[in-house]
Amino acid sequence: MRKLLFALVLMTSPAKAQVTADTANPLAGNADAVEAGHQLFGKMNCAGCHAYDLTGGMGPDLTDNSWQYGSKPGEIYHTIAEGTPRGMPAWKDKMTADEIWQVVTYIQSKHQ
Amino acid sequence: MRKSLLAVTLLCGAAIPAMSADAPAPDKKEVAANGSFTGATANFAPNDPAGQWTRQARDYANTRYSPLTQINKANVARLRIAWTFSDGQMYGHEGAPLVVGDTMYLVTPFPNIAYALDLSKPGAPIKWVFQPNPDPRAIGEACCDKVLRGWAYADGKLIYNLLDANTVAVDAQTGKEVWRVKLDDVTNGTTTTQAAFVVGDKVYVGSSGGELGTNGWFQALNVKDGSTAWKAFTNGPDSGMLIGPQFKPFYSWMVGKDLGVTTWPGEMWKQGASAPWGFVSYDPDLNEVYYGTSNPGPRTPSQRPGLNLWSSALFARDATSGQAKWAYQFTPHDEWDYDGINENVLIDIPWKGARRKVLVHFNRNGFAYTIDRTNGEVLVAEQFGHQNWASKIDLTTGKPVVNDAAHPIVEKKVENICPPDIGVKNWNPSAFSPRTGLLYAGIFNSCMDLTNHIVKYIPGSPYDGMEMVRHAGPGGNWGEFIAWDPVKGKRVWSLKEDMMTWSGVVVTGSDLVFYGTLDGWFRAVDARTGKVMWSQKVGSAIMSQPIAFMGPDKREYIAVYSGVGGGAGVNRRVNGFPPGGNTLYVFSVDGAGIGLGQTQLRTNASMPAPVSVPPAAAHN
Repeated sequence: MRKLLFALVLMTSPAKAQVTADTANPLAGNADAVEAGHQLFGKMNCAGCHAYDLTGGMGPDLTDNSWQYGSKPGEIYHTIAEGTPRGMPAWKDKMTADEIWQVVTYIQSKHQ
Repeated sequence: MRKSLLAVTLLCGAAIPAMSADAPAPDKKEVAANGSFTGATANFAPNDPAGQWTRQARDYANTRYSPLTQINKANVARLRIAWTFSDGQMYGHEGAPLVVGDTMYLVTPFPNIAYALDLSKPGAPIKWVFQPNPDPRAIGEACCDKVLRGWAYADGKLIYNLLDANTVAVDAQTGKEVWRVKLDDVTNGTTTTQAAFVVGDKVYVGSSGGELGTNGWFQALNVKDGSTAWKAFTNGPDSGMLIGPQFKPFYSWMVGKDLGVTTWPGEMWKQGASAPWGFVSYDPDLNEVYYGTSNPGPRTPSQRPGLNLWSSALFARDATSGQAKWAYQFTPHDEWDYDGINENVLIDIPWKGARRKVLVHFNRNGFAYTIDRTNGEVLVAEQFGHQNWASKIDLTTGKPVVNDAAHPIVEKKVENICPPDIGVKNWNPSAFSPRTGLLYAGIFNSCMDLTNHIVKYIPGSPYDGMEMVRHAGPGGNWGEFIAWDPVKGKRVWSLKEDMMTWSGVVVTGSDLVFYGTLDGWFRAVDARTGKVMWSQKVGSAIMSQPIAFMGPDKREYIAVYSGVGGGAGVNRRVNGFPPGGNTLYVFSVDGAGIGLGQTQLRTNASMPAPVSVPPAAAHN
C-alpha cells in the first residue's frame, strides 16, 4: 500500500521546469521518499561533502538553520538541480526530478 | 574475537615510550658534549642570511631551523605583540610568511590574495595587493577547507598555487601578474593547496584531490614563464610516472613494470588519487626532490584490492629530469586514509659507526620513519603517538604488520581504530635543530569508529565512503607536542594539549621552539626540556607555520598566522573551539619595533613633523 501511494505521488509530481521557490514538495512527509532520499544521499556522493549525518564537512551543514541559498523546499530543489557558483555541482542531469525531490524530502526530515 | 583482539591492540598502542615535560629533564648521559642528543646534523642550503625567511621551510632540507639568538631563554617571557595584520579572509590560514629583504609576503586562503608589507616603515604598511580571482567553483572541490599551505619567492617573483588548479607568478616589486598557468580542470576535483617549492630555475607543484577520484600529479614548472619542465603522474603506466632505468626501490615488492596499473583492479588507477599535496624537500648534493603521495581513491579499500601503488608513498626524483630514483609505500593498500604526504626533513645521522644521509617522516599512520634518502632503506620506524592498527613496521620487508581488528568492514561499524583518517600527525610540519639533534612536532591523539560504504565515481564529487565518528584517544586530550630522537626512534619529551596540535614549528639558535594550539595559544618551549617559557593567547586557532626573522631594524621577530579552518573542523564540537580569524601576529621583546609605541610620535599624514611643543607649554 505504501508503495502504491508512493508511485502515485511520483506520477503526479511536477516536471522540474515548473519548480519555483514556492513550489511545495510533492513528497512532503512521505516515509518511503525519506528512505529513498537517504539512499540517494549516499549513492550520489552527497555524503562525501555534507557527511553521512548531514552535519557538513567539505560542504555546509544541512541540519542547522543556516541556508545560503534558501530553506524552502523549492529552493533546496533548485540548489540541488542547478548547483551553486561556489562549488555545489548541478545534479539535474544525473538525477531525475523525482529523485531530487526525494533528497529534498530526506533533508527536510532532519528539520522536524 | 574481534573485540578481544582490539582490546589487546589498544593495550599495545597505549604503550608509547614517553616522558612528560613535568618529569625531570632528560638523562644527561644521553646528551653529547656538544649538547646534541643524537649527533644528527643537516645541510642548511641555500644558506640564506640568518634573518631572512625566503621559503616555507627556510631551507631545502625542510628543517625550519632559524639560527637567530636575539630572542632567548632570558628574554622570551617579555615577548609582546609588535604589530598585527588582518587579511579579511575566513578560511583556514596554514602558510608561513616570507621575509625577503625588507618585505614580507603573505597570501590568503581562497581567494588567494597576495600582500607585500613594507617592514622598514612603522606598522609594516601594504606595498601592494594582488587579487588573482580564482574560479569559485574550486570551493566545492577542495576536500579540507579552501586553504593554501605556502608560497615561494624566486627570481624577483612571488609564485604560488591558486585553489583552482592554476599556478601564478607575481612581480615581487610591483604586484603585477607575470604569468599564470592552468594545470588541471578544477571541475574534475583537482585543486591546488600545496606550497610551491623553488630550486634554481624550477618551481615544484603538486595536486590535491585525494578524496575526489583524481589522478595525482607532480610537476616542475620553469620559473621564467610557468611552462612545464616535466610532469610525473602518481598512478598509471611507468611512462607517465617518469619511472625508468634509474628507478631502484629498496624493497623487492615495489619492483616491477607498470605497478601503478597492475596493483589496481582494472582501470581504477585512473581515479586512484595519490595526490602529492605536501611539502617538497631537496638535497643539493644528490640533486633529488622528495615528496609524498596521498591516500588511494576511493577511501573504501574493499573496492580496490591490491597494493594500490603509488598511493600513500614517498618518491625521490632527479630534480632536473624528474626521473624517479626510488619510492617507498608507507601503508600498502591504505585502508584508513593514512596518506604519505607529510614533510620529509633531510638530516644526516650517526648510524652503526658511519654517517647516513636520511630523511625523517612522521606518517599519519603513527610511525616516524628514518629512511636512507640515497636508496629508500627504512632504518628506523617507531611509534610516535597513539595507534593500534599495526603492531610494528617489519624492517626486513618495510611492511607494516597490520592488526586484524583494524580492518574496516562495509556497512558495519568497527570501533576504536586509532588513529582516524586525520592521523597521528597531519601536514603541519615539524622542525629540526642541529643543536639538539631532535625533531619537534605537533601531533594528535585520536581514534575513530568507522563504517565503510561502497561508492561510485561521479566526476567532481567525493569518491570517499568513510563514515567516521572520531574521538580523543587515551587520556582524553586530543593533542600533543613532542620532541623526537630520529636515531633511537623515541620521544625525548612531550606536552599534552586539549585539542589537536595542527601547528607547524620553528626552532631557533637559542633552543626555543615555537608552536601554536587550536584553542589559540602561541607558545615558546625550551627545546631541551619541554618547559613552556612563554604563552600568548591570540584571536583564533594557530594551524599555520611560525617563523623567526630579523627586521630592517636588526631586531628579531617571531611571526605566525592565526585563523582556524582546514582539518581542524574535526574538533569543532570540542568545548572552546575558536571562531574564525585571519590575523598575522608579529612578536618582539617588549613589543618594540620601528616607529611603534612611544617612538611613533607623529602621524604619517602630518609629516613632516609639527614643531614640538616646548616643554614649558606642555605643562600648562
